[in-house]
Amino acid sequence: MINCEFDRRRFLQWTGAGLFATVSAQLSLESLAGAASATPLPTNTPILVIVTLYGGNDGLNTVVPFTDPTYQSARSNIALSSSQVLPFTDSLAFNASMPELSALYAANKVAIVQGVSYPDPNLSHFTSMAIWQSASMTAAVSSGWIGRWLDIQPHSPFNAIGIGSTLPPLLVGDKSVASMVDLGGIQLPWGPAASLIPRLGRSSSSDVALEGAAATSISDLFSTAQLLAPLVTKSPTGSFISEQLSLVSTLINANVPTRVWEVNLSSFDTHVGEQADQNALLAEVDAALGAFMTSISTGDRSNDVTVMVYSEFGRRVMSNAGLGTDHGTAAPVFLIGNTVKGGLYGEQSSLSALDVNGNLEVTTDFRDVYGGLLHDVLGTPVGDVIPSWSTALSVH
Amino acid sequence: MTPTPTYTERLATARLLHRFNFGPTPGQYAALLKAGLAATQRTVLEHGLPDPGLDSVVAPNLPDLGPYPPGNTPAATAFYQAMNTGNQELVVWWLDRMVVSHYPLAERMTWFWHGHWATSISKVGYPLPMQRQNNTLRHYALANFRDMARVMVVDGALNYWLDNEENYISSPNENLAREFMELMTLGVNKFTQDDVTAAACALTGYSTVQSNGNVTFDEQQHYDKPLTVLGTRGKLNAESLAWLITSKAQNAKYIADRIWFRFVSGTTTPPSSLEESFKGRDIDQLVSTLVHSSAWSDPANSLVKSPVEWFVGACRALKVRPSSLNTGDLLWGLSQMGQVPFNPPNVGGWPYGQAWLSGAAFQYRFEVSQLIVTAADLSPLNVPTSKMVEASADWLGVPEWSRRTASTLAAATKTPAEFATLALLAPEYAVSA
Repeated sequence: MINCEFDRRRFLQWTGAGLFATVSAQLSLESLAGAASATPLPTNTPILVIVTLYGGNDGLNTVVPFTDPTYQSARSNIALSSSQVLPFTDSLAFNASMPELSALYAANKVAIVQGVSYPDPNLSHFTSMAIWQSASMTAAVSSGWIGRWLDIQPHSPFNAIGIGSTLPPLLVGDKSVASMVDLGGIQLPWGPAASLIPRLGRSSSSDVALEGAAATSISDLFSTAQLLAPLVTKSPTGSFISEQLSLVSTLINANVPTRVWEVNLSSFDTHVGEQADQNALLAEVDAALGAFMTSISTGDRSNDVTVMVYSEFGRRVMSNAGLGTDHGTAAPVFLIGNTVKGGLYGEQSSLSALDVNGNLEVTTDFRDVYGGLLHDVLGTPVGDVIPSWSTALSVH
Repeated sequence: MTPTPTYTERLATARLLHRFNFGPTPGQYAALLKAGLAATQRTVLEHGLPDPGLDSVVAPNLPDLGPYPPGNTPAATAFYQAMNTGNQELVVWWLDRMVVSHYPLAERMTWFWHGHWATSISKVGYPLPMQRQNNTLRHYALANFRDMARVMVVDGALNYWLDNEENYISSPNENLAREFMELMTLGVNKFTQDDVTAAACALTGYSTVQSNGNVTFDEQQHYDKPLTVLGTRGKLNAESLAWLITSKAQNAKYIADRIWFRFVSGTTTPPSSLEESFKGRDIDQLVSTLVHSSAWSDPANSLVKSPVEWFVGACRALKVRPSSLNTGDLLWGLSQMGQVPFNPPNVGGWPYGQAWLSGAAFQYRFEVSQLIVTAADLSPLNVPTSKMVEASADWLGVPEWSRRTASTLAAATKTPAEFATLALLAPEYAVSA
């Protein structure tokens, strides 16, 4: 058949594609500062911060069963010794790159949910992340779980915000999408002219409308800088993840009316040379989370914030010859917050009862974790966001 | 003694200079105010004359870099370096031309057409096809629009950008066909989906060499049966398709409207005489009609300068050659302000109006102003301090400083660099009132 003749089927395909095209708003710091002043998030409103680790973070070298002889023998070339970990029970320890989380755990502010994945785990990055982000086992569902939560909220571009410029699928609903905010702090003018520049932002009776708008843009910069003072910087100094989380904590502390935030970090796909790479990544995440919790704990939102840290899968129990690990299954999820009941949840997957691929058995379904967060943090029954799911794991 | 120009004369003269010539060179605004509006209209329309300014700008010699090499080889490193260097040279080359041209109308029109046929190097990748497209746009910038459209429809960079090399009889790709009609020749809702499907078929058989923009035609892959486009039935290829589409009256209206929108105002509508003047699709005549129109004395017709227009205007007044600036700092600044030539955000071209007026953009406008002022010739400020504020309005081509800006500038008369910074950042210079 020659498709150059117009036919209705092709037309419907085309318009159908148009219907589902979603455009995410890129919000400026000015508009966020404006929203924080005009419609601040009511006090005591819970907030969820989602940290996505792309690539498949090795759970066994994050929360380490360091005394298990199977752990030491199955991955003898990358296993962490007792001097490379921070024990919190007689058999489990944090990777020593994570002193901040270790301290927060000791203060009962970290829930570690063990053995998290879903039935018959998929070892493809793409498929598994799609399952986690859509909270659906079928490819037919393309919306994200937070996106579907957005669908049932009163519309506002501020409900959920991702940091960066590319919208992750979890923030895309059937009707609504989250907004994005670019990294990059506020750079105020410097040098000898700096003290006079704010005067250019005053309005003048002779201004035509566009000149007035140009003047307003100048005064907006200075008022935004005042409201979001921690973002005023000459040059970024921290890691990528700490820049993102520091932006989020500043915006949370400024009462921006946002319930869900998403940040992310890539490069956890440690097939070779895992120890050095993963330790460095975990150290960045740990330092960023520590600074984030410090910042939140000193603001008005101290008891409102819950952080979830997850990855699309853990990694193989047995290491490979390249001093790395291949794609695996279950791994721990961290839930962090001043009102979180810290401790261990779920069951640690056994290192001696592996599946046919040599991977950990799943002990907790990730949808139970979402269920708890939806209920406790977002105030929404799990079934409204994940159809036909009703169980929840509460850490609050 | 010449009478002092009225505000309306100052406004019209400033508008013509900023909108058609990227702003005045030092002394030019005052001289044209003396010479009168007719002389200003003549001046801004000059083009095609020997131009010592342009002669001093050497075009980058961009080789055909060939296909992408396999990753992680020494050849790949050299390849990407050459690509990156070429891209940077291309941007700086064009900015230099805008700044140093003695008759900038042709560059200004090329800049307009770049936004009209908005093609981005972010997808095309190679600088050579972008340079070739730029030269095409310059060649036709003030020529006949139908000729331009007939050449552009087979432009390599545009074809690659809009996926036309993926356009097969078995599964036509409609991207180029749709955007050609919707954004480049007719406007939205001025054609049907049937027209798009048929036009896509007319555009089958063309393929593009990504690295150099050469477009070849394969008859075997071309749909050669009669097609119906905009009510006319016949066999069509790319050129005859472009010719057919641009023959429609809607094409004259659409292009005249676009020119009005980008040069005059985003809020007022053009008089019908403008479309009338474009019946023959002569761009030169359209621009001349516009320059001689009464639009320039209407207070409603204010516009925001885009970042590149602001930057080029500042460089012209402060005698700064973009290639003399640190390339990395310059490209970073332009990119932060949101506008790098050859890299429009999408096929719709650059934003306009208030979209450029954000606090976020202002912070980078300040950074770029520092880059310019540090390299600037500030001699036009060598006047008695009591005259500096007034002299700076003439220098930059500002009809009138507001009391806000005048008093701010007056506080900086002892430090010319600081004074110049404030003047470039003033609302009256961000906008063409």
